[in-house]
Amino acid sequence: METLKKELKSIEEFNVISDLFSQAITGELIGMSNFASLAETIDDYLEKIEAVEHANSERMHAEAFLGYAEKHGLNVNINLEGEYWRTVREHFLFYAKKRDFIACLFIQEVILESFAVSMYRDVGNALGGEAKKLFLEISAEEQEHLEHSSDILKAEFKKDPIAFLAKIEEVHFKCMTILAQFSATTDLRGHCGICNGDCMKGSLHHVGLKIETMRGNALALYAQALDNIGIPGEKSIIWIAQLPA
Amino acid sequence: MDSTTTSLDFAVIGHQDSWDNIHGFVNGLRTSSQGELSLEKVKSIFPFIPPRELFRVEVNSITGKKINGVYIDTFIEPDKLDPRHLRANISKVQAALSTAKKLGARIVALGGFTSIVLEGNLVEYTSDETKFTTGNTLTTAYIVNGLIKAANQYNVKIEDSELLIIGATGDIGSACVQYFKNKCKKLLLCARNKRRLHALSERLATEGIKNESSTSLAELLYKADLIVCVASSSGLAFTKCKENVIICDAGYPKNLDTKIENNYRQIFHGGMGQVSEGFVFSPDYTDSFYQYPAPYVIHGCILEAMILAFANKYEAYSYGKGNITLERIAEIYKLGLKHGINIAPFYNSKGLCT
Ligand SMILES: NC(=O)c1ccc[n+]([C@@H]2O[C@H](COP(=O)([O-])OP(=O)(O)OC[C@H]3O[C@@H](n4cnc5c(N)ncnc54)[C@H](OP(=O)(O)O)[C@@H]3O)[C@@H](O)[C@H]2O)c1
Repeated sequence: METLKKELKSIEEFNVISDLFSQAITGELIGMSNFASLAETIDDYLEKIEAVEHANSERMHAEAFLGYAEKHGLNVNINLEGEYWRTVREHFLFYAKKRDFIACLFIQEVILESFAVSMYRDVGNALGGEAKKLFLEISAEEQEHLEHSSDILKAEFKKDPIAFLAKIEEVHFKCMTILAQFSATTDLRGHCGICNGDCMKGSLHHVGLKIETMRGNALALYAQALDNIGIPGEKSIIWIAQLPA
Repeated sequence: MDSTTTSLDFAVIGHQDSWDNIHGFVNGLRTSSQGELSLEKVKSIFPFIPPRELFRVEVNSITGKKINGVYIDTFIEPDKLDPRHLRANISKVQAALSTAKKLGARIVALGGFTSIVLEGNLVEYTSDETKFTTGNTLTTAYIVNGLIKAANQYNVKIEDSELLIIGATGDIGSACVQYFKNKCKKLLLCARNKRRLHALSERLATEGIKNESSTSLAELLYKADLIVCVASSSGLAFTKCKENVIICDAGYPKNLDTKIENNYRQIFHGGMGQVSEGFVFSPDYTDSFYQYPAPYVIHGCILEAMILAFANKYEAYSYGKGNITLERIAEIYKLGLKHGINIAPFYNSKGLCT
């Protein structure tokens, strides 16, 4: 299985890169499924079209990552039923079933995209070369999704601040808890079902990454996204401080 | 108070003094079912959090007036205040300034280390709606009036005393020099930069002011009857002081009493004020912030913004370096008294001074 390429210095490096790609591809496929489900929650036909376009863009991201992985003989494992990704998807579907567009938008375009934008940036910069270009391009596109949601959520917040905050708080604790457990130094809910062998977090140093920094950067971007929506800092600090770590 | 208020009388930008405080604050936000986070975990998350408002503050005046403000934390790490981290710290302070502007604060005080990071250069951040102040004028007022009060308490005559100013070339230090230059027997001046110190000493000599300067604290320390410390205390090595010296510890952090042997008459944390009518934090984080041996005690630099807000004087009152005037020291001190804000009771890390 391990067709170790010349430019990879060690088997450990090969394994970590394979796992990083597995996570990215699985995440993109979850995003694709979420946007497709999101389209069903939308009445406005223009927004509906946009959601389908976003689903398509996530599909293309997944394909781009897959293409790279195949070209470099990486050992990828795609598993939409892995503990963390499956649970996030279940929460998303819970709100999609209720046709709660705002909750769905917050999960996909704020929570998941904050982590994707930030982690792709970190991974890209660490890997360098062709992989860097790929990760940074996709990160920039995901950044657009994050920004797109901000205006909609800001407007929604203005309409009824109390109800909006209550909803976002509920969604935050359901979904960010999963991502916080996933990005903690040790998997707080057990194995992710995606990494080959042991959790890759302990091996990230082989490619010059550290989970603490990746999680910190992602949380910082998430906190900024909350600020952009207009969520008061005194609320968001409590939300963040109460997450598992 | 409504957390979505768009206009505020004042804002305070600050940072935490110690990891112990931060650890306590973060765990204070967690419920028992969420459990405590270890210090190591807190340290791995805290520095990444972008500056944000942590709580609202309502301050009361003896005139019955109330003002509303907000505390914004920079999330600067307490053990990363040295110049090696300057770039990162500048960007954190800048982000905090933007937050203050976004919240519509009319006057903003830069507390603790945050004004030093920008060297008081706040003009470029000022807008019609939001003005910034380093708060150094009121801090100076509380230092000089505090020292006079302490000297009076112990019947020490300032005119017969040699006064050592550690940090004499700084913004607050040079204002203290201006204030005391005609009031004491001799000024003893200390700072690290020889050229700036020498220039100050020469200037005073041409004015006929008796002074002695040195970059070596040890050379001056044993001569001083009174000491004002307005330099970062982390780089200061204290040797023997005079018996019965009175020390106003106004630098950062205020920890001289842990560095000096017990041969002083009094050492008090200077530059601190007290709001007689009190203030309310919401949420109430008083367990984590502004814990002092007396109630309603805050730094002079923060109180300056509050006093300006009470007085409807929304202007960049203290800015840059070397702009503090004796007139303004008197003016801001008097304005504070009008609203029941005065020098804090003397205390140090052992508690209230007796
Ligand atoms: N209410 C309060 O308690 C309050 C309010 C505001 C500020 N502060 C504190 O007051 C202090 C002064 O503030 P500022 O705005 O005047 O700062 P500043 O303009 O930067 O002045 C600092 C002064 O200390 C000197 N200095 C620094 N390290 C020194 C050392 N190891 N030995 C001797 N001199 C030293 C500097 O000169 P060289 O660089 O040449 O040594 C300069 O003269 C700071 O520590 C600040 O945190 C307290």
